[in-house]
Amino acid sequence: MSEKNPLPFAKTQSRSMLLLVVAVLVGLPLVLPSATLATEILIFAMAALACNLLLGYTGLLSFGQGIFFGAGAYCAALLMIHLQLGLFSALLGAALAGGFLAFLVGALAIRRTGIYFVMLTLAFSQMAYFLTYTLSDWTGGDNGLLNVPRPEIRIGDTVLMSLSDARYFYGFVAVLFLLIFIGARRVIASPFGSTLMAIRENETRAAAIGYDTRHFKILVFMLSGAVTGIAGALYAMLLHFVPLSNIDLAMSENILIMTIVGGTGSLFGSLLGAGSIVLLGEFLSDLWPRWLMLLGVILILVVVFMRGGLWGGFSSLFERIKGRRKPSLPVQEEQP
Amino acid sequence: MQRRTLLKASLAAASALSLPLGIRHAFASEPFTFYGLKSMSGAFASYGKFADMGSRLAVEQYPQLLGRPLNYKVIDTEGNAGKAVRKVQEAIAQDGARFFQGCTLSSSALAVAKEVDKAGGVFMTPVGADEVTGKDCNKATFRWSVPTYGAVRETLVPLIKRLPEAKRWYTITPQYVFGEALLDGTKEVLKEHGLEHVGNSYHSLQEQEFSGYLTNAIAAKPDVLVLLNFGSQSSNTLRQAVNFGIKERMKVLLVWSAGLDQFQELGSDILEGVYLGAQYWHQVDTPLNRELVKITKARYGINPTYPLAADYISTKVMLDTIAATGSFDGPTVAKAMQGLSYEGPTGTESIRAGDHQVIKDYYLLIGKPADEMSDKDDLAQVVSSGQSFAPVQDTGCVLG
Amino acid sequence: MLELYLFQILNGLGLGMIYFLIAVGLTIIFGLLNFVNFAHGAFFLLGAYICYTAVSLTGNFWLSLLLAPLLVAALAWVIERLLIQRIYHLPHMFQILVTLGIALIIQEASVMIWGPVGKSVAVPQLLRGVLVIGDFVYPYYRLFLIVFSALVGFGLWLLLERTRFGALVRAGSESTETVSLLGTNIFRLFSMTFALGAGLAGVAGVLFAPLRGAQPFVGPEILGVAFVVVVIGGMGSFSGALVGGLLVGVVQSLMTTIWPQGASLMIYGAMAVVILLRPYGLFGRA
Repeated sequence: MSEKNPLPFAKTQSRSMLLLVVAVLVGLPLVLPSATLATEILIFAMAALACNLLLGYTGLLSFGQGIFFGAGAYCAALLMIHLQLGLFSALLGAALAGGFLAFLVGALAIRRTGIYFVMLTLAFSQMAYFLTYTLSDWTGGDNGLLNVPRPEIRIGDTVLMSLSDARYFYGFVAVLFLLIFIGARRVIASPFGSTLMAIRENETRAAAIGYDTRHFKILVFMLSGAVTGIAGALYAMLLHFVPLSNIDLAMSENILIMTIVGGTGSLFGSLLGAGSIVLLGEFLSDLWPRWLMLLGVILILVVVFMRGGLWGGFSSLFERIKGRRKPSLPVQEEQP
Repeated sequence: MQRRTLLKASLAAASALSLPLGIRHAFASEPFTFYGLKSMSGAFASYGKFADMGSRLAVEQYPQLLGRPLNYKVIDTEGNAGKAVRKVQEAIAQDGARFFQGCTLSSSALAVAKEVDKAGGVFMTPVGADEVTGKDCNKATFRWSVPTYGAVRETLVPLIKRLPEAKRWYTITPQYVFGEALLDGTKEVLKEHGLEHVGNSYHSLQEQEFSGYLTNAIAAKPDVLVLLNFGSQSSNTLRQAVNFGIKERMKVLLVWSAGLDQFQELGSDILEGVYLGAQYWHQVDTPLNRELVKITKARYGINPTYPLAADYISTKVMLDTIAATGSFDGPTVAKAMQGLSYEGPTGTESIRAGDHQVIKDYYLLIGKPADEMSDKDDLAQVVSSGQSFAPVQDTGCVLG
Repeated sequence: MLELYLFQILNGLGLGMIYFLIAVGLTIIFGLLNFVNFAHGAFFLLGAYICYTAVSLTGNFWLSLLLAPLLVAALAWVIERLLIQRIYHLPHMFQILVTLGIALIIQEASVMIWGPVGKSVAVPQLLRGVLVIGDFVYPYYRLFLIVFSALVGFGLWLLLERTRFGALVRAGSESTETVSLLGTNIFRLFSMTFALGAGLAGVAGVLFAPLRGAQPFVGPEILGVAFVVVVIGGMGSFSGALVGGLLVGVVQSLMTTIWPQGASLMIYGAMAVVILLRPYGLFGRA
């Protein structure tokens, strides 16, 4: 990882980080009451991870992640329903759809910075929602898109594995997550990743050195969109259903909250963030219908006391136990 | 080594949980769990709260069911269809859940219906989407509320009789499947009676500002303004319509009102003289409704609202049928519910075998002036009631 | 038909004044404090609910129009002192997160206090009835809203442009240090500005209550409208909020006659186009 990455556990610990992720993937369905719940966590972790590529590593706060999530869900579902495409073709279609829309959104949105960038992604998010709702012949509109299949894994005509059992589907999603996680780490460790972080730290300087920062920003947008699209497709397969809420602003907001609460600038943080937010809703909603109030309190506490998110909190705790000096957390001032 | 044993143990536990229902029921003293899908948190909490009260009332009448303690578990749908479906899947796979009642959102109900059907369970819901007993119907799913077809007929036809002078009708419609269905029905009825449909304003699902649409309506000079939206949209349309002095210029009909809780929110100032279509009204004099009003007052100190009554009767019908058949087997209970007749809040109700639609009355009410109200909930009175249902072959439902 | 369009434009201008009132508090807080307040819709909501309670206790709408904004402003002042002050220096991302948290807390607290079902507030007796113009009608209450919003706008303009407070706040937004050097407590100035912005959201909430009632989940919608208006006009620009509000109002009203289902699409599309073509809005400062 780049030296600019302010969080601990850099290079030397990269192997143990990977082991940690594998342990979490194996442990989740054993600890949680159900494999479907574990699957939902991984799906949102994937979306949060993609959001993190933008926010944590490039400094782009996008309110448009719901567009890519919804696009992936609808695209995969429609491909499977109307063209009877199989699992991997549907996922590929979702990745392409997410990536393409991210290209459009990204190419326009990065023309502006700061709050105007945020507002542009927000406007696109709303427009995507209204378009989806208007195209109800295709999307099912407010009723949602029903009867989405969950195809089996097959090569040619040989069925390798059916995913209709929730545990098998979890296994499949977990393997995909691991691959995406490893891929994302590679990207971050690559020169491309270092450039992204250089853009985050100081875009003017990065441009002065000779990088075409726009080009890099669009690329990371597409990458993020493609991964988010895959997450959306998996969600559609999990539910056998695409609700209109998959593409609304609240979805974008949720993905952002998971990313920030988990910790920006750490891919593992996204897993933590998605896990804690999904579980919070799962357990608290049963106990107290007004649980969203507690979510509000948590959001505030994270910003006031734990700006590095859960991951930042854990790692500084870990550092302290190990007796090292506490690293300063990444708080870069935003350019107007 | 240790990890392997742990894995094995949990795999064994997991497979035990997913054993077929019949085998698990060998343990007769084990409680039986009935699931209520209620939007307790999120933007539809106003509905879920009453719906939950209703189901609880019905469950409390059965301390035991077929010799097993009856357990009622609320699944909070969070007003989010995705969450609802995932939690239902989980209950089915982990806890062998088979009997579900509720849902506020049409999208949740449609998707949950598919899951429950696959699992061989039973699901009864009061949502507004006609697809539940139409093209997306299935053998596990039942619907209590009258479809849009009947809602339109049982409000427009009596109103046309009551207002022989009213020739010009204007509609305001939310643009999505539900609104379109109401609009098509309205156009059909007006055509049958040789009345003029002088215009329609569509609005989007998010709209809360209706001054523009009301201006359109006033410009068309209708005798009756028909509102085909519902929930907070219809509340805001009515508020703003009254503000625009519409009531002095024309009659207003709200085809699909939410009933008492919405009326309480609006108050008699706004409701006076407005015609309101309703699935349920607490003042209706039927044996079961008298009983329901009594127990609701005793238990919660309020009059039953539509969500409360709908989820009470749906839960009760399901539990009664389980008791009558002596079986916890989904398909058996579903089969017994087909064609069933029972005493409901609207009188004798029956479940149509062809599409699992409950055949019951729909009401046309009129808002009362404040000085004629006998108590704070006496906000409207019944003008007429009746039953209109499209024949099964027109609903698009084919039960597999 | 032409008359109908004309009237829709008039109605849109009226609506636009109301939108201006909803948005002006947001733009003041952003312009002067460079702070993104996602709790704006929640302060609006609180204004509406306090109005409901005040009206049902006293039966006097005018009293609640005075009381509710003050209470909202007081609450905002406390929140600013305890919390917001610590996060002015943070990137917008964290400001959004914190104010989103505040919005959730206010929303859920409102459900706990007033219940999940909405409440209605009657139009004050004095302003019932409608103005008849040919085939069209316009409620007196909406006329009052236009006049009142204009007065509030004028008052704000005076406050910001013609008073010492305004001058200090404007100077403070340019350079915190200069103002501190003048011996002014800059933090108190910021607190007051934040309370002012939130109080304006409360005013809008009160005035909207007779049209919309008080509903617990209205916050995000209001926030959306406010942001669209502010962004189109230019974030932080006072006259921008006015023009943005009027523009959105007229577009929305005209679209109800032309292509209703496209109204929202148009408005957000317009917002995107404005940002792309005129990055700092129609009236914003770079």
